[in-house]
Amino acid sequence: MSIFSVYIEDGCITCDACEEAAPDVFEVTDDTCFIKPDARIDGGYDRNTEKSGLKPDVISTLSDDIMDAADACPVDVIILVEESEGDVPESEFVEVAEPEVESVVEETDEPAEGLEGLLSSGDRTLNILFGSQSGNSEELAAKFAKRAPDYGLEATVHDMDGFDLSSLSSMKRVLIICSTWGEGDMPDNAEDLWVEASSDSTPRLEKTFFSVLALGDTSYELFCESGKDWDERLEQLGATRLVDRVDCDVDYDAAAEAWALDALAAMAAVDANGTFLEDQIETIKDYVSGSTVVVAGEDGFTVPSIEADAVQVEISIFRYNPEQATTGRDTWVCALPGNLSVMEALRALKDTHDGSLTFRDGPDDDPTTAISVNGRLILPGCVSIDSAASTRGDSLQLRIEPLPAFDVIRDLVVDLWPLERSRESAEPWMIAATRQGANTSQGVIGTMDPAVADLLHSITDFCSAPLLHSSSDATPHSDDYMGPAVLARTWARMNDPRSSARSISEMQELMDSQSGIKAETDFASIRRQNASSRIISDALLDARTSTLGRDAFNGRHGKHVWWYSWSVKSSGRVNDTVLYRQVLGPLGLFGNLFSGVTARMVLGFTRTGGNVFNGMLGMVAPPAGIGKMPKQFNSSVDNHHEVVAIFNEVDGRF
Amino acid sequence: MPLKYAYHPGNASHSSATEVAETMEPAAKSLGIELIPLQGATSCGAGIIRQASRRLQLTLNARTFAMAEQMGLDIITPCAATAGNLHEDLHTLKSDPNLLGEINDVLERTCGRRFNGEINVHHLLHVIVDEIGLDKLESLVLNPIDFDVAGFYGPNIQQEGACGNDDIHDPSYLEQAVAAMGGSPVHWESRTQSVGVPGLFSEEPTVLRQAASVLSEAKHEGADIIVSACNLSHTVLDIYQGKASQATGLATNIPVIHLTEMLAFALGHHNSRLAQLRTRVAVIGD
Repeated sequence: MSIFSVYIEDGCITCDACEEAAPDVFEVTDDTCFIKPDARIDGGYDRNTEKSGLKPDVISTLSDDIMDAADACPVDVIILVEESEGDVPESEFVEVAEPEVESVVEETDEPAEGLEGLLSSGDRTLNILFGSQSGNSEELAAKFAKRAPDYGLEATVHDMDGFDLSSLSSMKRVLIICSTWGEGDMPDNAEDLWVEASSDSTPRLEKTFFSVLALGDTSYELFCESGKDWDERLEQLGATRLVDRVDCDVDYDAAAEAWALDALAAMAAVDANGTFLEDQIETIKDYVSGSTVVVAGEDGFTVPSIEADAVQVEISIFRYNPEQATTGRDTWVCALPGNLSVMEALRALKDTHDGSLTFRDGPDDDPTTAISVNGRLILPGCVSIDSAASTRGDSLQLRIEPLPAFDVIRDLVVDLWPLERSRESAEPWMIAATRQGANTSQGVIGTMDPAVADLLHSITDFCSAPLLHSSSDATPHSDDYMGPAVLARTWARMNDPRSSARSISEMQELMDSQSGIKAETDFASIRRQNASSRIISDALLDARTSTLGRDAFNGRHGKHVWWYSWSVKSSGRVNDTVLYRQVLGPLGLFGNLFSGVTARMVLGFTRTGGNVFNGMLGMVAPPAGIGKMPKQFNSSVDNHHEVVAIFNEVDGRF
Repeated sequence: MPLKYAYHPGNASHSSATEVAETMEPAAKSLGIELIPLQGATSCGAGIIRQASRRLQLTLNARTFAMAEQMGLDIITPCAATAGNLHEDLHTLKSDPNLLGEINDVLERTCGRRFNGEINVHHLLHVIVDEIGLDKLESLVLNPIDFDVAGFYGPNIQQEGACGNDDIHDPSYLEQAVAAMGGSPVHWESRTQSVGVPGLFSEEPTVLRQAASVLSEAKHEGADIIVSACNLSHTVLDIYQGKASQATGLATNIPVIHLTEMLAFALGHHNSRLAQLRTRVAVIGD
């Protein structure tokens, strides 16, 4: 805002606030406030109701103080006159203000040089009008308006209902998103505006650039009729269409996105003077996609664009076509910036090479977008290709696969419903106990020990449930296992002091069941994924310990742990014979006899070339002692008494 | 000057996998590694003991670390499960001085020992690649292993800080070692997968499917044999491969040997066993 003049309306209460804020401009008298003569062009000394201009040096040095004074006025009688406002005498305007005004006009109408000048100078308003019956158009309008700042545009979303049609002619950039209702009808909120726009008295739109996105349903005879009507009418009124109308069917996301990419870039290429700079469109698109060198971050707030050299990348992607029941891999070799995210690389491949490539797209941290890249489970929007890929030779190599623990729907898209059903069966809601609140300055509220809160948060602080679910190598092969994501959350609620006793009991039952924590065959596969999964792996180990304790080490799980520990206490070494006999029992051993396991143990020497007889004791009672058969008795490690002492000191159960 | 390490043989080489003990020592000697036996070392716990008591497994392994520290040596082991479990407990003790203090109190009371956190744990594979060098390994090879070899790492050593300078999720050390020994490394996805050893007795159906998945992928990718850096995983992959096939219907018959066996064979030891392996690959198939 640039001040031209200031005056005092009736009603001053002489509070002195303005004089304190700008003593060189305001002087409070007994019953009102005057604008000082030294500050005014006309040299007058009164309330300046004639709106005489302020001297240029006053404007340049004291504008902020004057505005502070106006803000400080409790009765709002200080009125600021902007440059184009006010009944300014011609002589004064020409004499003093003209050079200033000219200067300003020049700055406004002459875009700064270069792309950044185009996107940052002068009028950058964008008006998005939506006509919506079910909310889809409104949702898209809001979505694209949020994206407008990326293009240097200041977007305003207008509901067609109540929109002032006469204001349209003053708008340089207009996007219309309109659905069609029933048999070619306008949506309810657009009906009145359309009637008005259809009349002969509608103002011309010679200076307006526009584009239309039409939503509809191909099952109706008049498909996208409302959008077509708006498109045609705006053209009749003289507006200039920058991007051809796009007609969307009920599955409109992809088409709408494509339209927005073109339409926003085209609107951004309209400069402050209302000139369409067509040759800038591609540059703007590159700028927005991040491939243009942009210096940012100097203000300390924006994240600087990190440049990376283009690198040779070999991307091999798993493909599955359900219609033809075919699987395979497609491999592309291309040069990409190393800092490109895996998601951006997938999008680029889809846009430029293979439109049929299917993957879950979404925001960078969308947990459902998880995929496997070179065996690493990642959210593709959060990982750059140079950190996900292995360097082999001169190029980066990416082997992209769907998440391993789920059925594949197509290409990289997996069916996440089993995880949701598992989560649902765990009844993941909190059933809280009635607790004593704590008296605080904000009233009586429930509290939690910070260490407990921290622990609970750390257990459930994983970026993606599907990703964590897939990190267990047991989940793809187990029929019932609920998986680490569901069990980690269950364990957190079991340890949450807010949970009711009955709820905890039910969760214990779930945790102890065959689909619970016992079904995890190896925590190492979870643990190795990332820092978060190490914490969760430890928590799940605690859950396993808790379950085994409740079971008193019964069942095969408990016996395995019990007899393993017992045998180590006995000799310092594990005794496999003890495990086979005590854990599997006679029936298990009998089963191994007929499944070939025992045969492979007995005939181990045929594969290793080792001695046939390891000891006569091995012949006494299998499985023990021949070839790959474990020994019946271990010799003790040196200083075995130390081992026994540690067991007795730390855990006397064994 | 030979590399000198305190030798932890793992959990199976004293009993059901004596071939590891029989091949580790000659292979190490050829590679210039001096193995000083950790005679008093206990089982690493294999991730089993900590299911009963995390502190118990930590204390037992702290005792092993204290013995190696007393010898002034880092620990070497041919078993990925042992390397992984020891590394995990070592990292826990090093990163928590209060816990280390409490464990040391127990060690002093029960064994008269203390551990100061001044050793490291290495898997044989990482010593070969990072310390000895693949060039030297290649120069020592007397019997090139001219098979298509699928290297199996398992999940235990593919942990942050436990796999040398190798990639955790997309490792290549084993493939490089196989190539240095004259073999053709097979690239396959399942090489870092768990075959569920800790759940073998209790979750056998799941474990059999895990094992079958790994074995069948190796076969499908054209491997003649699997070489395992994990002695415990070898147990499942070798002894249970027939049962895994019965349970899943997948083709799982393929010879599975330990890394120490392949090294010993390539370096000119146990030639008759190598001949036996060639027969298995060419004729028997498992």
